[in-house]
Amino acid sequence: MSPEQVVVVDDDTPLDVDVPWQRLSARMIVVDVVRTLVSLAPSLVAFVLLDVSVGPGTAGALIALAVLGAGGALWDAVRWVTTRYRLTDDHLERSTGLVVRRYRRIRRERIRSVDVDARPRHRVAGLRVVLVGAGQQSAASESALSLDAVRRADAEVLRNRLLDEEGSRRDDGEVLQTFRLWWIVFNVVGVWSLLLAAGVLWGGGVFLSAFGLDPFGWAAELVGWSGLGWVQRSVLVVGAMFGVGIVGMAVTYVTQYWGFELARVPGPGTTQLRTRHGLLRTREVNRDERRLRGAMIAEPVAWRWMGLTDTEVVTTGLSIWSPNQPAAILPRAPRSVAVRVASTVLRADPGPLSTPLAGHPRRALRRRLVWATGLSAALTVVLAYAVLVAGLPWWVALAGPVLWPLALVAAVIAYRALGHGIVGDHAVVRSGLVSRRTVALQRSAVSTVVVRESVLQRRLGLRSVTLATAAGWGGYAAPDLDREEAVEFARQAAPGLLDTAIVEP
Amino acid sequence: MADSLRPPRHRIERRAVLWWVLRALLTYGLLVVGLGVAAVVWDAGRVWLLPLLVLAGAVLVAHAVIAPPWRFAVHRWETTDEAVYALTGWYVREWRVAPLSRVQTVDAVRGPLEQLLGLATLRVTTASSSGAITIVGLDHHLAAETADRLTEVTERIPGDAT
Repeated sequence: MSPEQVVVVDDDTPLDVDVPWQRLSARMIVVDVVRTLVSLAPSLVAFVLLDVSVGPGTAGALIALAVLGAGGALWDAVRWVTTRYRLTDDHLERSTGLVVRRYRRIRRERIRSVDVDARPRHRVAGLRVVLVGAGQQSAASESALSLDAVRRADAEVLRNRLLDEEGSRRDDGEVLQTFRLWWIVFNVVGVWSLLLAAGVLWGGGVFLSAFGLDPFGWAAELVGWSGLGWVQRSVLVVGAMFGVGIVGMAVTYVTQYWGFELARVPGPGTTQLRTRHGLLRTREVNRDERRLRGAMIAEPVAWRWMGLTDTEVVTTGLSIWSPNQPAAILPRAPRSVAVRVASTVLRADPGPLSTPLAGHPRRALRRRLVWATGLSAALTVVLAYAVLVAGLPWWVALAGPVLWPLALVAAVIAYRALGHGIVGDHAVVRSGLVSRRTVALQRSAVSTVVVRESVLQRRLGLRSVTLATAAGWGGYAAPDLDREEAVEFARQAAPGLLDTAIVEP
Repeated sequence: MADSLRPPRHRIERRAVLWWVLRALLTYGLLVVGLGVAAVVWDAGRVWLLPLLVLAGAVLVAHAVIAPPWRFAVHRWETTDEAVYALTGWYVREWRVAPLSRVQTVDAVRGPLEQLLGLATLRVTTASSSGAITIVGLDHHLAAETADRLTEVTERIPGDAT
C-alpha cells in the first residue's frame, strides 16, 4: 500500500502537537447503573409489591442481570478514566486502554463519514456515540474510530468541525435514489413478518409466565377461545400473527431505512456506491465500483403482481452471508425503480435488466413437467408403502396425487421464468421458481464456463450453461437452452473463453 | 447431429474404472452391508430397513457397475497454453472450460486408493467458488508434469485472475 492509502494509523505514541486532550462523558457510567436498575425494576416490583413467587431460575437470571449491569458500569468507568481524544489540525486521535495503551489516529482529509449514533438510553442522558468512517471498503459496522459516548453538544461540535471542511466531499456524490415512505407496503410482507410475530408473542409470553402470570390464558378468555371452532381459532391465530408481524415489519422498515440514500461518491482512486440509512442508528456501506461485476434483481413469486423487487449488486469482496446484506443496494422496491437503479449502477444503456430476454424452448417445459410428475409419483409410492406397513390412515397416500397438479403449475411458472440474453457488455440470465432472479453479469468477469447435459436433457436436445465468476454467488446459470444455442450463448457470454472447445463449422 | 462443442483430446487411464469400482464398494458397499446386518438383527425395524436396503443396493449397482465404464467412455481432458478443458460425468455430462489467465492454483493430488493404482487427480481452481475443474484418473507422472507446466504458464500471466 502506498503511504497515502494508509488511512488509519495504530501507533505507540501520540503525535507531538500542543492540543489539549478531551475526555468522554462521565454520564455513561450513570447511564449503565440506571439501565441495570430499570431492567431489574419490573421484576422487583412484581416480586415485592405483587408478591409473585419467583422460581430459582428466574432469581438466578435476575442476579446475573445485576452482576452484568455492575460489571458494565465498572468497565465504563475504567474506559472513562483511560480514554482521551483530540482533534488537531491534521488528525483525529484517540488513545485508550488500561493495561495496554492503544493509540489510533486518522488523517482528517481521509474521513469520509461521521455518524452520530444514539440508542434510546443515550438519548435520555443526552449522549451520543460518534462513529468515524474513513471510507474503507467494508460494512459500516466497522468504523475506523468510535467515541462511546460524548455529550450531544460535543458530538455536534465534533461532527461540524470534521465535516465543514470535508462537507463538499460528503455531498458531491450523484444521488441515485432516496427514501420513499410508501415503499413500506413492499417491506411489510413476507415470511419474516410471521416469524417476527411468533418471536415477539412467544418471547413476551414466556417473560410474563416467568412471574407466574398467564398472558395466553387472558388472551384466550378475552376472545372467548373455548367457544370457538378450530377454523375460527386458526383464522384468529394467523390473523393476530399477521397483524403483529406487519406492524413489526413496518416499524423495522422505517427505523432501518429512514433517510435512505444510494449515491455514487468519489473514493480513494475510484468511485464508490454508498448506501446510508437508519433512523436511530445510521448504517453506511461503501462498495468499490472497481469490484462491481454485475447486478441482480429478485422477484418473489407470491408478490410479483405488486412488482416487489430486491436489488443487489454482484461484486467481489463483499460477504453475501453478512447480516448487513452489503450487496443489497435498495430496500424492497417497485420493479421499475430497481431496474432503473440497476442500469445506472451498471452504467449500461440499454439497461441489461430491462431489455426483453429470449425465452427457452418448449422442451424445457417438458423437462419440468416430467420432473414434477416423477417427484409426485415417487412421493405417492413412499406414502403408499408407509400406509401399507405402518398403518397410517389411507388418505395420507393421496398427498402425492393432490400435489401433482400443484407441481405441474410450479413447472409452468419455473418455465416461464427462464430467459437469457446478451446486452452490450453483459450476459443476462433469468430463472427461479420461488424467487425469479435476473442477473446481469459482465462478460469479462466470467472465469469458467460450464455446459451441462443430463440424459433427459440430451433426449430433449437441451443444455444448461453456468457462468462461474469470482463475484457474488460464484456462478449464475441459464438452465435448458437449445443444445446449439447453449454453446453459442456460452461463447458470447465469455468472449474468447470457449475458443479451445469449439469446432468452427 | 453435428455438435459444435468438440470433445477434449485425451482420454484418461483405464485403471480409473477400477478406482471408481473400489471407491463405490468402500462407500455404498459398506452402507449396504451395514443396512443388511441391521435388517437381520433388528426385527422391528425391518419394514423400514428393507426398502432402504433395496434403494442403497440400487445406488451401489449404479455406482459400482454402471457408472465406471460409462464414466470411462465420457471422460476427456485437454490443456493448451490458453485453457484447461474437461468433459466429465456419466448420466449428467459436464463440459468445463477455464482460460489459464483465470486459473489461481493447479495441484496434482492423490488419495490412498489412487496411490495404490498409480493414479492422480488434477485440480485446477479459479477465483470462482463454482469454477474449479477436476480431472480424475490421470497417470500420476503425467498429472504432476501437467500441474508443473500449467503452474509455470499461469505464473507468467499478470493479474490476480479475478
